[in-house]
Order: sequence, then C-alpha cells, then structure tokens
Amino acid sequence: MGRRRRRGGGARVGALPEAIAALSQTLPAGPSPEIFRRAKFDRPEAAPALWQLLFRVLSPPAAAGTRASPALGAQVRLVKSALCSQGYPRRVLARLPEDGSQGSRELLLALAWLLARGPLLEHLLAQTRVWLGDEIPLWQYEALASPGPPAPCQEADGPVDIRHLQWLMGTLRFRWRDLITSQQELCALLGKIHSYTRGCHSDRGLGHLSVAETELLRDPEGGRQLLQRLESENTRLEAALQWRRRELVFWQWMDTVLGSCPLQTSPATFLPRDPASGPGELELVARELRGLHGELQGAVEPRRAAWEAKAGGWGPEWSAAQRATQEAVGRDLAALQRAWEQGGAPAQPHRPCRLVKRDARAVEGPGLRAAELTGALRIRESRLETALGQLQTRCRQELARLAGAEPGLIWILPPGR
Amino acid sequence: MSVVTVQLGQCGNQIGFEVFDALYTDSHCPQGLCSKRENEAYQASCKERFFSEEENGVPIARAILVDMEPKVTSQTLSKAAQSGRWKYGQHSCFCQKQGSGNNWAYGYSVHGPRHEESIMNLIQKEVEKCDSLSGFFIIMSMAGGTGSGLGAFVTQNLQDQYSNSLKMNHIIWPYRTGEVIVQNYNSILTLSHLYRSSDALLVHENDALHKICAKLMNIKQISFSDINQVLAHQLGSVFQPTYSVEGSCHYRRNPLGDLMENLVPHPEFKMLGIRNIPQMSENSLAYSTFTWAGLLKYLRQMLISNSKMEEGIDWHVQPPLSRLPTLGKASLNRELQFNTSIANLVILRGKDVHSADLGGFKDPALYTSWLKPINAFNVWKTQRAFRKYEKSAALVSNSQFLLKPLDTIVGKAWNMFASKAYIHQYTKFGLEEEDFLDSFTLLEQVVASYCNL
Repeated sequence: MGRRRRRGGGARVGALPEAIAALSQTLPAGPSPEIFRRAKFDRPEAAPALWQLLFRVLSPPAAAGTRASPALGAQVRLVKSALCSQGYPRRVLARLPEDGSQGSRELLLALAWLLARGPLLEHLLAQTRVWLGDEIPLWQYEALASPGPPAPCQEADGPVDIRHLQWLMGTLRFRWRDLITSQQELCALLGKIHSYTRGCHSDRGLGHLSVAETELLRDPEGGRQLLQRLESENTRLEAALQWRRRELVFWQWMDTVLGSCPLQTSPATFLPRDPASGPGELELVARELRGLHGELQGAVEPRRAAWEAKAGGWGPEWSAAQRATQEAVGRDLAALQRAWEQGGAPAQPHRPCRLVKRDARAVEGPGLRAAELTGALRIRESRLETALGQLQTRCRQELARLAGAEPGLIWILPPGR
Repeated sequence: MSVVTVQLGQCGNQIGFEVFDALYTDSHCPQGLCSKRENEAYQASCKERFFSEEENGVPIARAILVDMEPKVTSQTLSKAAQSGRWKYGQHSCFCQKQGSGNNWAYGYSVHGPRHEESIMNLIQKEVEKCDSLSGFFIIMSMAGGTGSGLGAFVTQNLQDQYSNSLKMNHIIWPYRTGEVIVQNYNSILTLSHLYRSSDALLVHENDALHKICAKLMNIKQISFSDINQVLAHQLGSVFQPTYSVEGSCHYRRNPLGDLMENLVPHPEFKMLGIRNIPQMSENSLAYSTFTWAGLLKYLRQMLISNSKMEEGIDWHVQPPLSRLPTLGKASLNRELQFNTSIANLVILRGKDVHSADLGGFKDPALYTSWLKPINAFNVWKTQRAFRKYEKSAALVSNSQFLLKPLDTIVGKAWNMFASKAYIHQYTKFGLEEEDFLDSFTLLEQVVASYCNL
C-alpha cells in the first residue's frame, strides 16, 4: 500500500541524494553521491572509484586493511573473479577492460546486486568493529566451509616435479608451526596482563583489564585515537540507520538505472529485501533460472563427451566410479557433521566473545566457560583423528594391494613423517 | 622468540661455551657501526633469544649441559662464571660419572632411558623461562658415544614432547682419520636417527675447521679451543639478529623458523653447511679493506667449488650451461665437481649493506631444476657490524657439499658391517642388526636424493 502511494506521488525532493549519501557513508571507502549519479549515465570518470569500492567490499578484511592496496588492474581482476564465484549473472561485467576505465553503470548494478542478496552492510560493519575487550574468535563450521574469492590460478608450464610440491608442503608446515608458537606466546602474554591488572576494572563483573584498556591507560595518545575510531564507527552506524529508513527510494532509482541499460539476452531483475514484493517477480526469476540451467546443460554435455573421448577408454565405468567416490565422501562428511552435533557442544554464540579470566571458584555468571568449549573442541578433534586414521588405513591397504600386485617392485618409504 | 640450547657430551659443551661467548661478545661490542638506538635493539634481540633475565646483572645462557663425565661440564661452568660477563644457570647441568665408551648403543639404549626423566625435566624448566619458544639447538658430535647416542635419544624425546617446536641439531663431523675406530658406526646411526626426528642438521667438519685455523688464522699449535672459536664465529654470524623486512629497524623474531622455512622444508634434504667470509682473525683486520662485490664473489665461488676456505679456491669450476636436460646436467655436474645447491641463505652484516649486489647468487644454474632462485635464494641483512668486521658475510646452504663425505662414511661403515666387526659391542646393549640395516637404507636414500639434483 505504502509502496503504491509513493510510486504515484513522486518522491520528496532530496530524498534520493540523502539515501545515497547514507549508503556511501556506511560503506568503507564509499564514493560521493555524485559518483553514483554519474554512474547511472555510465560516465567513465566514475568507474575507478566504483572498482575500488567493490574491491574493498569483496576482499577479505585482513587484505584490505593492512597492506597497501594493489594496483587498479589487480583490483579489477579480483572484483571480477569474486563476483563470478558468487554467481553474479550479468556477463557484461566480466568483459569490462582491466584498466578500470569503463563500466561505471555495470559496477553500480553489481553493488546493488550485492546489497540485495544478503546482509552486506551488517557484514562490513561487523568486520571493522572497534573492540575494547580481548576477542576470542569462535570458529563456526559454516565459516570454514565458505571460501573467499579464489586466488588466480596459474597454469603450470610443463610437468611439475613432485619434489617442488614436497618443498611447498614443508614450507606450509613450518609456517603452521610458527603460527602455533605465536598463538601460544599470545596466550601466555594475555594471561600475564589479565593477572597483573586484576581488580583494576570498574566493572566488577569483568574484574581485570583487556589489552586495549591497558593500552588506554598507558598511552593517552592511543586513547585519543581510540576515541576517534569509536566516533567514526558511531557515524557509520548512524548512517546505516539512515540508510535503512530511506533505502526504498534507492531501489526505485536502481530500477531506472537498470532500465537505462541496453537490452541483454537474459536480463536479471533485482529483488530488494522488501518482503512485500509479490510472487510475480519470484516466478520470473525462477523461469530465468530454469532457462539458464537448460543453457548450461546444453553447453556442458558436448564438452564432457569431447573430453571423455580425448581421455580415452574411461567411459561409463570411470564416471560411475567417480560418482561412487563422491557419494562416499558426501556420506563421510555428513556422518562427521552429525557426530559433531551430537558431541553435546554448548550452544555457540553468533558473535565473538570477550575473554575474561575468572577465579576458579566463581561458577555463576553469564557467558561460556572455556572448559566446556575446549571439551567440545577436543571431542571434535578426536572424531577428526579417528576419521583420519580410517582414511590412512584405507590408503595403506590400497598401497599394500598395489605392492603385492607387482612383485618385482620395491617400495621405499620416505624417512620419518 | 627464544632458543634453548642443549649441549651434549664433551664436544657439545666445549662448543656451546664458545658459542655463547661469541654471541655475548658481539652483542656488547662497542663498534657497532650503527646508531645507539639500533645497537640497543640488536642487544635486546640477541638477549631475548639466547640469554634469560639476570639476577644481579649477569645474563644467564638459555642452555642445559649434559655429559656422562663430570670433567668437561665443570670446566665449562667455571669458565663461564669466572668471566663475570655471562654464566650458565646454577641448576642447568646434568652429569654422571660413567662415560659412554664411544659406544652409540650405550648412549642411546642405556644412558638415554636411565636419565630421560632428569634431562627432560631440566629442559622443561628452561623452556618455562621462555616467553615464547622458537625451538631447540642441540650441539653434539657424531663420532663419540655420549653426544651421538644420547643426542639421538634426546632429540627423539624432544620430537615427542615438543612436537610443534623446531629442532636444529648441530653436528660435528669427525676427522677423516679420526681416532675412534667405530666412529663410522656411530656416525651412521646418529645421522639416520636424527634424519627421522630432527628438522635440520647443521654440519661442521673438523677437517675444514682445522684447515681454516692453520692457513688463515696462522695458529701453530691448533687446539680444540681454536677450532671451536672459528666455529662459534660462524654460528654467531648466522644467528645474531637481522632485519625482518627490507629496510626496517625491527629485528627478525624467529630466526630458527625463518631459516628452516627457507632451507629445509623438504624432508629428504636436511643437511646444511656454513661458509663465511672474511675468515682472517680479528687482529689482521686493521690492514684490510673489503668490498661487498669482492666478498660475494669469493663466497659464491666457495659455494660452487665446495670450498670451505677463502684461500685455495678452484676458480675453474663454473656453472654449466642450463640448456641441458636434467639427467644430463646432473652427471655433467658430477664430472665438473660443481656443487649444486637446493637453497641458499646469505647473511650480510656491516657497512653499506644495502648496496651489496647479490645477482650472482640468483643465477638459476646454481640451483637444482625443480626450485627457482626466487624460492631457493634468500638474503638477510643488518647494518650493524659483527664483532670487529666492518663487512662480513655468511652463507648457509643446503647443497651437495656433504655428499662425498657422507658416501665415504657409509661405505666404510658398510665394509665394517659386512665383516661384522665390533657389532657385538652394539648388540649387547639392545641394538639389532636390523637397526644397522635401516640406517644404511635411509642414508643410501639420502645420498641418492642429493646425487640426483
């Protein structure tokens, strides 16, 4: 009802620039509203700012923050591959030049698509949140399973020497051990700070200071910087609230942007997260998906047949064996996940927690106990080790079978692990 | 991050003392050739790694001393304490009155299990003093009984108990014409066991060190103390702090880890050797000046021609053309006596260190075909000079340098084993012929891997 009224009556003058300004303030490295306006008309000068914005939005937080940002060409490539891996439907974007000079309207559409799909702004705000406590990240199973943007794949020229692979594995192992040692050092030092500052915190429930709070006391300049960061975070949060109030105007405007695009073979429509949108649009999207699926099938089948013909002699037993392996792996994973869930783990919170050192006698109070968490993690660890042991046994049996099959062959195992 | 040193046997303890002395002397050297602030950062970094908090101002070495005879350890402890500059911990020593009779099996199967708990407790106490443990540095000889057998046992225990910590074993390769008859047995047993439980084997050959003392240091009567000082100088120039990132003033936090990551990630190639330049004694320095170009040229040729000394280098050995296929290249290299490297780490200390040109070490012809110079070659630098050497360079390399000596030792040991000479000395302490055969297999494999570079 409200929507129809607004469509007919015309938006309040200035509502759109305000909405865009709010959006831009909420986003990290948000460009000015003028850039958005120019992007609607596909002006080339708006393109670089939008490429950089998308790069900031799509790259993992550590990469965006600490190191100097890469050259525009590298940013363009990463944005393209990240959008592709998330399933962005418009093919025009993938064909844009890598110098970042064109395509501002396409980029605007891509941004709107990302906003429409999921809680993008909340996600971005959570990434840059200012924490005063010592944070303990709680690894969720789903978080591990969702991959980031894929690294650019390098084709190996010629056969790869296995010794090189072993070298790389060894490097990884050393880095892993270095990481564990650093983690242990971090824990030891955290423990020291927590014990030394016992009784200093004004909040009796917490009892001791965190690292950030200790730094605040030691270094007033750092305190000023922390205050500035909190203030800027506040500004962003207020802008986010403004955006929520005004975003409908933005979506209406985006429809006009989409309308001003040249026609494509498979136009995608944008679905704002407004649940009031009727079933008609859903039906449209569903039909498009089915059509796309059919197209893909048609493209894949001849390619697969050609590859199989080239690989020679593999034929149906190979694909049957492949399918059987995939199903077996799927079953194993599902069994593992069920076992984890049955492990009686305490309900995992959805946000990181503040680490607090408590007296052993203090049992009451909110929050998770470290002992429970470590217990649950140990159960998972033992399940994974069992699974690993079973896989290793299977491997050994297979090797033994192969060794037995060729009596003239001598197998020499590598030294140690 | 801190390194805990385990000094084993007569050899290990004497060397350990010289190493800590060299590290301390360097870090308190007045002529740093750098700013006061940087010198202080250097000292602090060195101290964090190797010494622990002092009581009454004297730094305590992060080390434990283990020997089965009391003489050498008590000498070492008192020498350190007398200097007044640094010392060993009061309770860091473990010794017995028994000796090992140059018998690897006695050290491994008798002393090891018997004294396991005491030794591991000592190590644990030292580890607890560290805020963060980078790893263990175990100094031992290969030819005797205590260092070799007990050393292998202790390393295995460290592997079990501290599986995430790094372990580097510093091994003394005996004289070719050494005095211990069964030194070859001891050597192959030590090497094979260490290959399984250690991360890196840093080898110093007695013959090479002896030659350096004789030719370059002009020492007439060479004692073990002289040899150990040359050795300590080389180790010091590797392990003293270096910058972590190009041009920054922060010192590297985990030298052991970085070194291992650069040089020994592959499980079959764990043997490391050190070369350094200039090798003349500090007293002769006043009359010499060096350029980086000259130093690096000599260092590169020392690597290629497998020379340990900066004098008498064979300049005819040159890298072959890189167009040959891998197999042909390997056999040609063998003919030319060209020392192929897997990975190299060059450490530069001193004046104008940023102007040094290392192009010569980035030549792909120096390296094996399956590792490109960008992965195989690394440089560490610091402007702070090492001791009184205005410019000095060290090279830690994983190369074929030990191939011939290893092959020789394995051959000699096999000949003895084939005639069962002295085997009963080992089997009577729990070792079996199977263990010997396993050792031979493993070492033959190592020889083959290095040969096929």
